[in-house]
Amino acid sequence: MKSPRHVPTAGAARRPLATLLAALAGLSGALAMLPAASAAEPKLPIFDAHVHYSHDAWDRTPPKEAIAILRKAGLKRAMVSSSSDDGTQKLYAEAPDLVVPSLRPYRKRGEISTWVRDETVIPHLEDRLRKFRYAAIGEFHVYGSDADLPVVRRMVQLAKQYKLWLHLHGDSDAIERVLVQDPEARILWAHSGFDRPEAVRAMLRKHRKLHADLAFRNDHATGGKIDPAWREAFIEFPDRFLVGTDTFTPERWYYIAEHADWSRAWLADLPKDVAERIGWRNGENLFASMMATK
Amino acid sequence: MAFRRTEHHRGRRVLATLLFLLAPAAAAEPDRFSASELERIASHGPWPTAWMRDPGNRVSANPAAVHLGYRLFFEPRLSANGRVACATCHDPARGFQDGRATARGLTDGVRNTPGLFDVRQQRWFGWDGGHDNLWSASLRPILDQGEMGGSAGRTAHVLRGSAALACHYRQAFGKAPTAGDSDLLVNVAKAIASWQETLLSPPAPFDHFRDALERKDVAAAAAYPAAARRGLKIFLGRGQCATCHAGPNFTNGEFGDIGVPFFIKPAGVDPGRQGGIKRLLANPWNLLGAYNDDATGGNTTGTKFVRPEHRNFGEFKVPTLRNLTLTAPYMHNGSLATLRDVVRHYSDLDEDRLHADGERILRPLNLSEAENADLVAFLESLSPATPLPPPVVPAPVPACRAP
Ligand code: HEC
Ligand code: HEC
Ligand SMILES: [Zn+2]
Repeated sequence: MKSPRHVPTAGAARRPLATLLAALAGLSGALAMLPAASAAEPKLPIFDAHVHYSHDAWDRTPPKEAIAILRKAGLKRAMVSSSSDDGTQKLYAEAPDLVVPSLRPYRKRGEISTWVRDETVIPHLEDRLRKFRYAAIGEFHVYGSDADLPVVRRMVQLAKQYKLWLHLHGDSDAIERVLVQDPEARILWAHSGFDRPEAVRAMLRKHRKLHADLAFRNDHATGGKIDPAWREAFIEFPDRFLVGTDTFTPERWYYIAEHADWSRAWLADLPKDVAERIGWRNGENLFASMMATK
Repeated sequence: MAFRRTEHHRGRRVLATLLFLLAPAAAAEPDRFSASELERIASHGPWPTAWMRDPGNRVSANPAAVHLGYRLFFEPRLSANGRVACATCHDPARGFQDGRATARGLTDGVRNTPGLFDVRQQRWFGWDGGHDNLWSASLRPILDQGEMGGSAGRTAHVLRGSAALACHYRQAFGKAPTAGDSDLLVNVAKAIASWQETLLSPPAPFDHFRDALERKDVAAAAAYPAAARRGLKIFLGRGQCATCHAGPNFTNGEFGDIGVPFFIKPAGVDPGRQGGIKRLLANPWNLLGAYNDDATGGNTTGTKFVRPEHRNFGEFKVPTLRNLTLTAPYMHNGSLATLRDVVRHYSDLDEDRLHADGERILRPLNLSEAENADLVAFLESLSPATPLPPPVVPAPVPACRAP
């Protein structure tokens, strides 16, 4: 069929009707389109690299329900961390095939900005690392020169010792400092540092082991269309990006499915192979494999 | 009058300003305002602001429509059980809300009923901004199964059953109310909107203070209580409240997440703005649709450029801070009972609930009990000092007056 773009437009008079029809279609469209789409082609699996399950989340959404949410969203796997770590362990016990555990330095909410100076974080990490298996330490928040504080340094050493990833939410300065401490450190840069695509690309070029998640960002895609600068980044580094929801409040568990669908929509605007890598293969290769082989 | 000042007057004003700024310094530091604070105080007025008709509603300010809208606002027969009117939830004696945490119509709702004073000034309607105009926000409750459960047929029946209502409808819209007319519900909603546009709150103690500062009227400014002044300082400064609660109506018209939990009973969440954008774009009565009466399309920009973002999930409209003493409890779900609770919420903010990214406006303020009371005193000064009289009843138009 010819593209409708070549058909001359019907003129302004028709537009209100068209708008109304489009709006009405929108009302039922969401419901009507899902089964059709999934019948044609199975939904793209998603590796969600940025899930938190803190104590207020497991109060509200117990492990069985939480796992049901992840499965219903069509997630292949989720990298989960929590304050305290008990939430992650509960979820991992419920579905080891679905959950990749990551260890947060936070024992409860409210430690986001204090932990870098809190020596008691270290025995907490050491104790949990002895007891449980993880793919990463994080997500933790650290900016600039704070990354050189003793607590952070020791944590970087522990990651090296246990061969774990660091899921770091912070600026490029913090990344650079961690990489001075351990040039081999494997870092997953949370939210790609909320940096511009050009800056993210420069960091990925400079540091070959650096990976980046796109959690809680919108600037790379609007209405299922990818921003040109970001497209270049994805095509240059198809193996280095991951998607993630970031469930920083317990309520956001109810956004995981929505986020997975949103990700599928913009990933569909990439070559299939690149879409699959960013959507789930990178996560599988980097993190899931660690849990399998240890 | 106030604009035509002589040199002589100006000289006196400067002197008065100096006296005002300097005099309280010795007694109480916190009473003084810097030049930049004075400028920001001025930005919260004047009140009331200039009223403009709604270009998207052709019967905005039409007297027949205003009268019809008034009558229908109090008309329970529009509802499925004949017992729920707009005024059931939007009670004029309570700042046009119901005093409940969450609304109760035909069934229990999940959101707090907002007051309707100054509703003409809103840019988005509903806690989630699911509507971009007042008339479609007024149509929603008529059809909502949990609120009024009405229909076009029922509405037409009510109109045709009363000579006065039918006459006002005819006067406003130039035709009789017929059940088969697909415009009927929209027209009725536009009439109810035109009445709500007339709901204006009078100046509050803060406005008198603000105007006195503007006039450099030291004596009048002195009437504003010291506690409210100290609270105002926190509001403008440390609290950064005015970043969101900006301008004469104390709202920037946008949406925010201040860490109020948004689970709903018995299960699930209220998606807030994220769901509101979906509702807005799917709504045939939005400003992009055929019922917008603004032929220039000048009022469609906001809706055209709405783009969903992850942060919208759990964002709610930044509410006005006027008339709060009339509209407890607070927040989108009525979860905070008093202004003291609201201020405590901001004071003890749970930072982990707010996504850490970029510049932070909200931080736990760690206010002392005294500062807490000051901020409450300021908020109270944005409400009328004396009970408001009932709303003015719009007169029937001459053509519809009974002989
Ligand atoms: C059952 C109680 C109930 C009834 C009846 C009701 N409302 Fe409301 N009203 C609410 C609630 C709750 C909201 C907030 C809705 C939301 O956030 O989506 C609201 C919101 C509104 C708003 C948006 C105000 C703002 O500032 O965003 C308007 C306007 C309004 N109602 C007008 C009306 C009119 C007109 C009627 C009658 C036709 C009516 N309401 C009937 C409960 C009610
Ligand atoms: C980041 C924007 C933002 C800032 C800054 C902010 N608010 Fe709010 N405020 C909101 C939003 C959004 C709501 C509604 C939240 C909800 O319903 O869940 C709200 C609600 C309120 C309410 C309840 C009003 C009602 O009718 O329910 C009060 C009172 C209030 N804020 C006062 C303040 C004060 C005092 C400050 C400064 C300490 C402040 N706000 C700072 C965005 C903000
Ligand atoms: Zn983060």
